[in-house]
Formats: sequence, C-alpha cells, structure tokens
Amino acid sequence: MRALKTAAFTPILPGLVMGVLLWIGPAVAADATLEVIPAETFLSPALIKKPVSFKGNGFAPREMITIEMILPEGVTVKGVNKGEDVGIAVATADDAGSFSAAMQPTATLNWFFQVGWTPLLKPDFKEAKPLPPGDYRIRATGLDSDRTAFSTLKIVPPPKKKE
Amino acid sequence: MGKRWGLFYTVALGISLCVAGTAGHASAKEVAYLSLADYTGPIAGLNVPADMGLEDFLKQTNAKGGVDGVTIKFIGIDTRYDVARAVSAYKRYRRTPRLLMVNSISTGIGKAVSRLIERDKRAQIVPGDGEFQAHIGRTFLWGPAYQDAFAATLDWILDDWKKKGNAGAPVVGYVSWDNPYGREHLRGGAEYAEKIGIKLLPPEFFPPGTLKHDVYLTRLANAGANYIHAGGVDPTPTNVIRDGYALGLTKSIQFTADYWGPTALGVGVHAEALEGTVITSFYQRGEDARNNAFITDQWKKYRGSMDSFNEVYGMGMSWGMTFVAGLKKALKAAGYDKLEADDMYKAYQQLTGLEKNGIQGPCAYSPTCRLGSKAVKIYQVKAGKIVPITDWREAPNAVSLHSFK
Repeated sequence: MRALKTAAFTPILPGLVMGVLLWIGPAVAADATLEVIPAETFLSPALIKKPVSFKGNGFAPREMITIEMILPEGVTVKGVNKGEDVGIAVATADDAGSFSAAMQPTATLNWFFQVGWTPLLKPDFKEAKPLPPGDYRIRATGLDSDRTAFSTLKIVPPPKKKE
Repeated sequence: MGKRWGLFYTVALGISLCVAGTAGHASAKEVAYLSLADYTGPIAGLNVPADMGLEDFLKQTNAKGGVDGVTIKFIGIDTRYDVARAVSAYKRYRRTPRLLMVNSISTGIGKAVSRLIERDKRAQIVPGDGEFQAHIGRTFLWGPAYQDAFAATLDWILDDWKKKGNAGAPVVGYVSWDNPYGREHLRGGAEYAEKIGIKLLPPEFFPPGTLKHDVYLTRLANAGANYIHAGGVDPTPTNVIRDGYALGLTKSIQFTADYWGPTALGVGVHAEALEGTVITSFYQRGEDARNNAFITDQWKKYRGSMDSFNEVYGMGMSWGMTFVAGLKKALKAAGYDKLEADDMYKAYQQLTGLEKNGIQGPCAYSPTCRLGSKAVKIYQVKAGKIVPITDWREAPNAVSLHSFK
C-alpha cells in the first residue's frame, strides 16, 4: 500500500514543484527596466544644466546601481581602455527597487564631450572630442543583485545653424 | 609505426603542456591593487606623480622577488575625478583574484565606493574624510583627517600670534572649494577653533574652477582676518594666494594652506606671491623631500632627472610601503592559497607604528584608528623654496569634537 502511494506521488511531485516555480518566478525576478531621458539628443552645453537622466525599476531594494555606456566598435573615449564600458551615472534604488539618476556635470564633460582640464580645474573645450553621432547601448546594473536592464541613447548631429 | 609515433608525440606534448601550465600557474603568485585615479582630469597634476611613486615602489618590490614570492599587480584606472566612472570601474575589477586594496582618489569617490567595499569585505584608502574615523569601517585615510590637520594649523597660528607679541587671539578666515572636501575641515575644525579661543570668520566657499578669488578674500580682509587659510588642491590654493598678493593682502595677513597646498607645481609658477605661505603637511614636502635619498634614489632610477620632481611622489611611495607591510602580515596570517581581501583589512589594523623612511609620521592604523598617521609638519615658502619650520608634531583630534550623524 505504502509502495502504491509512493508510486502514485512520484510523478506528481516534480509537476507540483515546477508549477510552484513557474508561478512565483516572475515575482522573484521581475525583469528590470531602464529608460533613458531623452532617448535621443544632440551634444550641446545645454546638457550641463539639463543632463541626460535615467529611470529604472525591478532592482533589489536600496541597492546601488551603476549606469554604463557600452562603446560601439571603433569609438574611443579619453581615459577608458579598449573593451571597458564607461560609467556615466550612479543611483540607489528605493524600497521598491526603482531609481532615477542624472548625469553629473563632470560625467557629461568627461564622457560626452571628452574635454581637457586646465590647471585651474576648468574644462577646456579646445581639447574636446565629442562622441560621434550614433546609437549607444546603455546598461543599468544592480551591484547587489547583478540584475541588468538595457536601453539606447541615440546621439544625433546638432541641427544646422540657419543662415 | 608512423601513426603510433604520431600518437606518442601528441600525448607527450599534451602532458608537457599540462605540466608547464601547472608549473607556470603555481609560480605566478600575484595579488592586485586597484587605483581609482585621475590621470587626465582636474587633479591629474598631483595624482599622476603620486601614482608614479606607488607604481615604481611596487615595481621595485616585484623586481626583488615580491613579498615572500608574491608579486603585486598595479591596476590604474583613469576616472577623471568622476564618481560614476569610479563605481563602474570598481564593478569591473571587484572580482579580480586577490584584489586586496582600492585607493579612491577623491572624497566623493571614497564615499560612493565605501558601501561596496563593506559588502565585499575589502578595504580602501582615501584622502582625509574625518567621517571614516568617526565611523570605523573598512576605509582608511592616507594621513590625519582634514579637520585634525586644520586644527594643527590653528595651533601654529595661535603660537605665531603670541610670538609676535600680540594680545588676545587672532581672527582667522577660511576659504575653500564649495564641495564635501572644502566643508570637511570645519566639521571638527570649527569646534577646535572655538575651543582654543580663535575667532573663525564665516567661511567663504567658491566653486572649483573659479578664476579669481578677490571677492572672497576682500570680504575676509574687511571682516578683520589676521590669517587666511586657503583650501583646495594645488594649484587652487596657489591661485587664491596669488590673488591675495595682487590685492596687497599678504603684507598684513598671513596665509596658510592644508596638505594639498602649494607644491613644486605652484611654487614653480608663483614663487613671489607664495613667499611666506605656511603649509601644514602629513608628508615631506619641498626641500625635505628633495633631501630624502630614499625618495630621490627611486625617482632617479625610474624617472631620471629631478627637474620635473614633485614631492607628492613620496606620498605615493608611502602608499606602497603600507601595502607591502600589510601584505606581509596578511600572508603570514592566511597563507597565499587562502588569502582573501578581508585578511588585508585585518592586517592594516596591525600596522600601528610602521615607519616610512621619514616620508610621513608613523602609521596610526589600529582596530580603533583609521588615520594613516597623526603627525604633521609645518612648512613655509622661503626664498622660493618650501622648507620645514617645525619638526613632526601630533595633530589634535578634531574629529572627536564634531557630531557626525
């Protein structure tokens, strides 16, 4: 009788476990999301005052998040080794795992404009080498959970001046 | 027959490669040191020579066989003084095998990275944020806290005031960057001024990158300052004092600076304006550094002519000496195979009293102290040279006077 019970239960148990896992799966590891604001921009000094910013959710509560730009093949950035991604913002998730962050002026100057710096600590735009127009993949990573979310920032050429 | 020999050679080659690989792996004992530095950004002028000093010291250590056969890999990352880049770089390198220490070049980077350092059970070193002494954790300072060094300057000011035959206490102005670094000196420093009876004027803060400082200096002069303490990382204090000189203030007001005050960088350009400036430092500067053969021998060996020598190079060597001493203790305690970053954290707390060939005072790290050293020396610019005017002296504990939340 006992053997019969075991035989009957054996094929049911894995099914139950699978069912429970499928049911709770999305709640445990909800997909993290990332939004770049604005998703499309051109490089101008206005970005110092109104910087590119980021919103995301689905991260672990109160974890630190790094937002990085993945450089396309052939694009180089001053101070960044080949194959490295460039950190452009940091944030801390709230209790619900959501965050918002904006690029700080040094990040915009260093990584978008690639300015030089004078001995007086002033950005030197004469040495600037702005990022070329193109699509740049942006990744947010939770530094406790390792969860990641991706989005894209499109850098377009500046509008032509009216003659 | 040919096939058999072919198979034999293939197997023999495979075994040889395996053995060679294993042997090579076994002999390559290595630990890592990560510098979240600034090589092309706003404070590159000081960070580059400092990391040169460290890197050369590690090169020399490795050339002599390392520490008990373990070599040290230096990983230098150019953050360009940007917190976001530093955090991202730490994320990239945090899983480097046996990454034992992280050096964060700014107060802002140190604060951001400290959370991750705590979680990873690692240790980091940072400039002078007294908060890390107030709240003991895995972050160690390079020397005394900013507020302790400022308090030592205030002691010197009071002595100087009395030596000149003045009655009562002097009035002191404070001018620095409008950022966490600039404000840190007063978190305990202001309380210390009050304690010894010095009247500290309302501080003047300006954004990093300010070209002229006349308005701040004039306000302090009009408020009756007898002394003005100029903060910021060189060349900023050099430029503040240059403006004071142009306004004629250096004739009647004594200017002082902290340990990021004028170095060879500033004195080389504005020697006349800086004449008489007093600098409180935890590491050897100017002529002291140039006369320390331990520093200059290494500089000449790796960098050649002394023409471009900057005394911050010695401070970088001091980071290296601390790391090597910590590694010795960590290896002794854990052995290479079981060595973890946490062992280095424990080792750093046992470095109390470590001497650094005169570059700075004895190491003060202990289970209750995160100060690289407690001693400072007072220097003065005389005839275009930075010369010591006191011996090493212990800086007051100003951190303890402030209530850190």
